[in-house]
Amino acid sequence: MTARTFSLPRTAVVVITASVIFLPLGLIFWQSFLNAPFFNPAKHFGFDAYAFIFEDADFWTAFANSIVIAAGMVVIALPLGAALAFLLTRTDLPAQRAIEVLVLIPVFVSPMVLAFGYVVAMGPVGFYSTWAKALVGDVPWNVYSLTGIAVIAGLTHVPHVYLYSSAALKSLGSDVEEAARVAGANPLQVALHVSLPMTMPALFYAAVLVFFLGFELFGLPLVLGDPEGHLVLSTYLFKLTNKLGTPSYHLMAAVAVCIVGVTFPLVLLQRWLLKSAGKFVSVKGKATRQKLLPLRGWKWLALGLVALWLVFTIVVPISGIALRAFVEQWGEGVKLADVLTLDNFRGVFDSSDQVRAIVNTLLIGTIGGALAVACYTAIGLAGHRQRGGIARILDYIVLIPRAIPGILAGLAFLWIFLFIPGLKELRNSIFSVWLAYTVVWLAYGMRLISSALLQIGPELEESARTAGASSRRVLTDVTIPLIRFGLLASWLLVFMIFEREYSTAVYLLGQGTEVIGSMLVSLWGAGAIDQVAALSLINIALVAVGLAVALRFGVRLHE
Amino acid sequence: MNKLVVENLHLQYGDNPILKGVSMTLSPGEVVALLGASGSGKTTLLRSVAGLEQPSAGRIAIGESVLYDGAAGVDMPVEKRSLGLVFQSYALWPHRTVFENVAYGLRLRGTSATDLQKRVTEALNNLGLGHLAQRLPHQLSGGQQQRVAIARALVYNPPVVLMDEPLSNLDAKLREEARAWLRELIVRLHISALVVTHDQTEAMAMSDRILLLNFGKIEQQGTPEEMYNRPQTQFTAEFMGSNNQLPGTIAQVADGRALLEGEGWRLWGAARGDLKPGDAATGIIRLERTQIANGAADNRIRTELVTGMFLGDRRENLFKLGALRLRCYGAAPAAGECWLELPRDALWVFPGANPA
Repeated sequence: MTARTFSLPRTAVVVITASVIFLPLGLIFWQSFLNAPFFNPAKHFGFDAYAFIFEDADFWTAFANSIVIAAGMVVIALPLGAALAFLLTRTDLPAQRAIEVLVLIPVFVSPMVLAFGYVVAMGPVGFYSTWAKALVGDVPWNVYSLTGIAVIAGLTHVPHVYLYSSAALKSLGSDVEEAARVAGANPLQVALHVSLPMTMPALFYAAVLVFFLGFELFGLPLVLGDPEGHLVLSTYLFKLTNKLGTPSYHLMAAVAVCIVGVTFPLVLLQRWLLKSAGKFVSVKGKATRQKLLPLRGWKWLALGLVALWLVFTIVVPISGIALRAFVEQWGEGVKLADVLTLDNFRGVFDSSDQVRAIVNTLLIGTIGGALAVACYTAIGLAGHRQRGGIARILDYIVLIPRAIPGILAGLAFLWIFLFIPGLKELRNSIFSVWLAYTVVWLAYGMRLISSALLQIGPELEESARTAGASSRRVLTDVTIPLIRFGLLASWLLVFMIFEREYSTAVYLLGQGTEVIGSMLVSLWGAGAIDQVAALSLINIALVAVGLAVALRFGVRLHE
Repeated sequence: MNKLVVENLHLQYGDNPILKGVSMTLSPGEVVALLGASGSGKTTLLRSVAGLEQPSAGRIAIGESVLYDGAAGVDMPVEKRSLGLVFQSYALWPHRTVFENVAYGLRLRGTSATDLQKRVTEALNNLGLGHLAQRLPHQLSGGQQQRVAIARALVYNPPVVLMDEPLSNLDAKLREEARAWLRELIVRLHISALVVTHDQTEAMAMSDRILLLNFGKIEQQGTPEEMYNRPQTQFTAEFMGSNNQLPGTIAQVADGRALLEGEGWRLWGAARGDLKPGDAATGIIRLERTQIANGAADNRIRTELVTGMFLGDRRENLFKLGALRLRCYGAAPAAGECWLELPRDALWVFPGANPA
């Protein structure tokens, strides 16, 4: 497999990948330097769009709010996630296996659904709020405040920190900890002097990741920030759509460029952190059974705190949605038994666009997920065992969509379909949403594929080459059969991600392109709470099916 | 300094016994090698002394201080045992400099800053690492990392230093130099050391005494000379050197000697163990004691040269006699028939037909 030979399929994969990434991105850049939408004949180049948003006080408030929320999330999620990882990997905390599964639920539930859950559970007239008021006479929280949003966002992003922190703790050779014990350190000193500093790169990486995710937050601030008018950059962009009465594409593009200006350096920083963490990887000693730290009396306190977190991030919002989906209305003094109903679901199934949304969501998760995995596999194989330029180019290309928040990607693809003649028809089919989803989740999908490809020892392929197989035969006879279980697992994970996705489809929403995620945003905007509740519950059920299958077949839920 | 005593130590993982009653001692200033194949329990024994494994019965003590006593329910925590342990992987802390790696044990013991500086510098200089104090472990070569690991284990003057395969992570070439260097260091600093190794040459070169472990039991112990020249069992004989094996039947036993007989050959050897005429037995002789001879005589057999192999410092020849294959060193004889002498003192006859 020499790197120099020209291969048509490989080149085609690289060209297609590059164009689906760079065309939309380039269009956003170009549009941001126009003074009117690109389809307007009177457009000309200039900085008018930037001048407009930089003079808009809302833009700066939104920018500041984005930073405050992102920073608040780091402050909350980092210590909790690290502590959770330590408790679950290094101590004898009870019920570890069950907690390990529950911890991941917030990752797979749509933030839009979670946000709605907090509104109906803990909003001013939410279930838990009215019950709290009946008990203590007042609602002791306000989920619509900036602090409320930051706390909810922070607590729901604890799993991200947990994942990276626990992976680092698990890969830490027990020999370095044993060496500290032998040198005279007690277990607490071992944790503080060896385990924690050695997992510092992972924690730092997780901090940057959470800050980055905070900066591109959309669903939570859209739903929770609305009542008190708190804007963040993504919701500011969303509201711009109608700000001037006419399509203000140039302004949106300028905001989009500002967002990418922040997120892209963060993605590069993450990549650099991941690479420089390599020097902390120590030679692993013999695999010895690790002694877990006994928590003794602290066991129940620790379990209680973990349970409290689980109740807040999973039980409260999901129970809120589940309740709201089966009542006509809710408020102070309403008795649950009087308002129980199935009308919300009847409403959903009576509405043809909502039925289409459910069908489309299922199709995009199953068939679309399989097609996306096929695309990711093609890209992965194009770079597989390539040492030359192609692998390096692909490596960086697939990183770029990571920096583009879903809402921007959806917008960019909308413009592509409007801009390039002949694509109008595609814009009105679910294909447009699938393409946007596939590009937005490219980096995630590539991580799944490359971790499957990494499992194959190069000598397995080399021996096939020596036995006389062409490089294409090696792919079909050795490589692909060996990663087939990895591909099935990736399909399942991509299914869940596609069921959950919402922001990417917002701008592509139209007749025929409905999915549950974008439908929720639209219905929420229209105030159709009953249907939002019912659709949210259906969405949770779809993700739950994926999760159940994944658990049944022992699929690792993170790479 | 005090004597390390291990008495009748048992250890199991689940139902799988790893140590089946091991007893040993290590006197101050002595180096003992724990030798054995993988799965023999040698590393487990070392880690039990360090406190990193959980024995099920037995006793470990250094002088008056009891580290473990199954019957009395004593199990001193690892960090209180104050032993030095050199890990096979070295287990250097990658986020600490060489100086801080070595200083850590002293810091935990509350050593004053000036004393700490002095002792760490001394330990590093002892190992020829003085100029590397501010480096991080990943900036060092394998040999340098090994020295840091040793300095770290020695700096707080532990009564016994435990070494787990200290040379196995080095290149083959470097390993021989490091072996001589490590032996010199141990002698120079009067260290009491327990060294785990799977390589018999390494064990002989480095230690005053060898304990050969076989599936959780001590097969034989003694000085390197005793182990090599006077093995009591076939297992020891085969483990300690390169040998020719001659499976056969006992024809005659007299005065501590046995006549071993096979297809087309009869040889006298030193009887080891209980032998009776008619029993199956195996003759073992070191390659270097097998000699090419110039004609028929007592205890010689007629063989045919198969091939010769040039090894650099000597030549190894392969001979055959029926199904039997024999190797020996020496100048290449002319192709064809050749007489080999197996001196009767050098040929050990062990009971049992199977090679151990």
